[in-house]
Amino acid sequence: MSRRTETGTLAGHSGTPIEALQEAFRVLSGAGSLKEESARFRSVIGDYFRGDEVRLLRRTTGEWESMGGGPEGTAGALPSPAAGVAGASALEGESVRIVQRLADGSDVGVVLLRGGSGNPYTESDLITLRLFLTVFENAYREMIARRNEKDLIFSLNHRVLQLNSLIDTGIEVSKITGSAPPHHLALERAASLTNASKGVLRVTRGGRTEEEGWFPHGGAPEGGAPGSGGISTGFDFGGETYTFQLFDKESRNGIIPFDETDQLLLDALSKQVHASLENLYLHQEALEKQKIEQDIAVAASIQQRILPKSLPVIEGYDIAGVNIPSKSVGGDYYDCIPLPDGRFALVIADVAGKGVPAALLVSSFHAYLTAYLEADLPLVELAKRLNRVISRASTEDKFITGFFALLTPSSGFLETLSAGHNPVFLRRTDGTLQELILGGIPLGMLDMDFPYQSETLTLGKGERLLLYTDGIPEATDPRQRLYDEDFPLRDFVSGKVPDRAGTFIEELIADVKKYTGSAPQNDDITALYLMKL
Amino acid sequence: MEQPFRLTSEVRDNCLVITTAGYVNNVGGEAIAAEFNRHFEKGIRHVVINLGQSRVVNSVGMSFLIEIIERLEESGGKLVFSDLDPAVEKMLSIMGLFQYAGKQKTVADALVSLAGAGKADG
Repeated sequence: MSRRTETGTLAGHSGTPIEALQEAFRVLSGAGSLKEESARFRSVIGDYFRGDEVRLLRRTTGEWESMGGGPEGTAGALPSPAAGVAGASALEGESVRIVQRLADGSDVGVVLLRGGSGNPYTESDLITLRLFLTVFENAYREMIARRNEKDLIFSLNHRVLQLNSLIDTGIEVSKITGSAPPHHLALERAASLTNASKGVLRVTRGGRTEEEGWFPHGGAPEGGAPGSGGISTGFDFGGETYTFQLFDKESRNGIIPFDETDQLLLDALSKQVHASLENLYLHQEALEKQKIEQDIAVAASIQQRILPKSLPVIEGYDIAGVNIPSKSVGGDYYDCIPLPDGRFALVIADVAGKGVPAALLVSSFHAYLTAYLEADLPLVELAKRLNRVISRASTEDKFITGFFALLTPSSGFLETLSAGHNPVFLRRTDGTLQELILGGIPLGMLDMDFPYQSETLTLGKGERLLLYTDGIPEATDPRQRLYDEDFPLRDFVSGKVPDRAGTFIEELIADVKKYTGSAPQNDDITALYLMKL
Repeated sequence: MEQPFRLTSEVRDNCLVITTAGYVNNVGGEAIAAEFNRHFEKGIRHVVINLGQSRVVNSVGMSFLIEIIERLEESGGKLVFSDLDPAVEKMLSIMGLFQYAGKQKTVADALVSLAGAGKADG
């Protein structure tokens, strides 16, 4: 639509002044800027006053500035409105000068100049021009109102956007895994939501910068970070300090200070990252725990295969054993292994420590023990070799106490060796107890050819042998008292003489459990009981 | 991390196609507006803005986009955004830009939609 068409009804006084004013308002209020409105106004006035020269000026502070039609100086001085008055005017025959105060506090001045051949301006012309200028002011007021309304809608939408983005970022940040650090996304969002032109994230540890990332990439100003006018926030996590900084808040009118909302947004995003990192850490910890539990389950499975499912039948004897691990994987071991020459090896062992490391050592112990027994090594040599290999296979704080007995069933002959283990009780038929302790140091304690010793004895009819680990005498009740302190194990062994080895084991375990009650089991409980029928 | 702002443009079938990369902020918005104005003065009224490589837009950058939409609307033209990152698409949607501008998956789709609009206008 051309200007001429827009102002067509005004040309040549074709309508009434009221119609002309209405049309002028329609034309002027359609302008998108003061500059455009001024151009339209000059056209409207030019049309109405048939080719008279129209000059338009504006001042916001001191000096008048031309808005079209020529400089103010060439048309004489514009009148100044009196204090508290919105306008002023001057009529001098060949010229009309009017000043109108606008809604934004600035003044707009109109100079209307008539050529030499025309009639001088009248009071009526002055009034008409003033009315047009009032229309100009009203149209300008409406334009500002429209603009304010637009700005308000934009601002409200932006607030909705900020809230929405805050929620979305929280969700996105919480989804991110270790391969895509959440703080980079948060920095991007913080910069865009606050209109920062750039931002930086620093991760420091003990004052040393571990990571520095700028948004946009390569946004680091020369000579380091901007000195002032920014906002920052941060948190400590895992021994590192995370710091977010934003610089240069943008507006259409240049750089402006950040406001309180910007700081709140940055703080909120920083907290989301903190929570995300903590969740990530806990998630990884849970995964590691899960993996450890899986490893323990595998170790427990291996451990269970090492322990005997059942004990061999030894003619003329009855034998029973038990193993109750305190954790899912224990460090105790027992077995009764038939040897090629008809003898049987009774073994019980206890690794210092529990869990997977103990189970691994038990596994090594079992492998070496089996191999050495098959090689038919003398008991002392067997212990010496086990000490050496266990010493080399374990750490300094890991060793194994064990008791070995080689039984010749037909004669009841026993050769025994204790590698630092608890005394093994031999109950004679008369009720007396003999403690078998001869041997040497625990296996793996010292990497040296320790001179182990063994002892021999003969098992008579009705005589019994109890091998056990310290989980029995050191079982504690809820008050942390030891079982052996209140009920000496030797008394139990001496006093109990059931017909079956299994019965003895059942009663022993029941007695221990009764004593410990609700107290947790602190150690593995293992026992092997042999009686000659 | 987002790259510094870059812009390229071409005119295809009387449509201006502006492709941006990087942060659409004051600098980016001004550059887009300047490129648009240069072609608008020459009579271009159909515009595609490909924001595929701009994952971050701030409200100052958006105000320039709104001005372009308004100028095109006043002159019977049309703007279509293409290749929008989901986060940017959501931002523009919340700010109400799709009430007056179109969106398409690709530049080719946008050109097709503008060709259709041109026929309807004509």
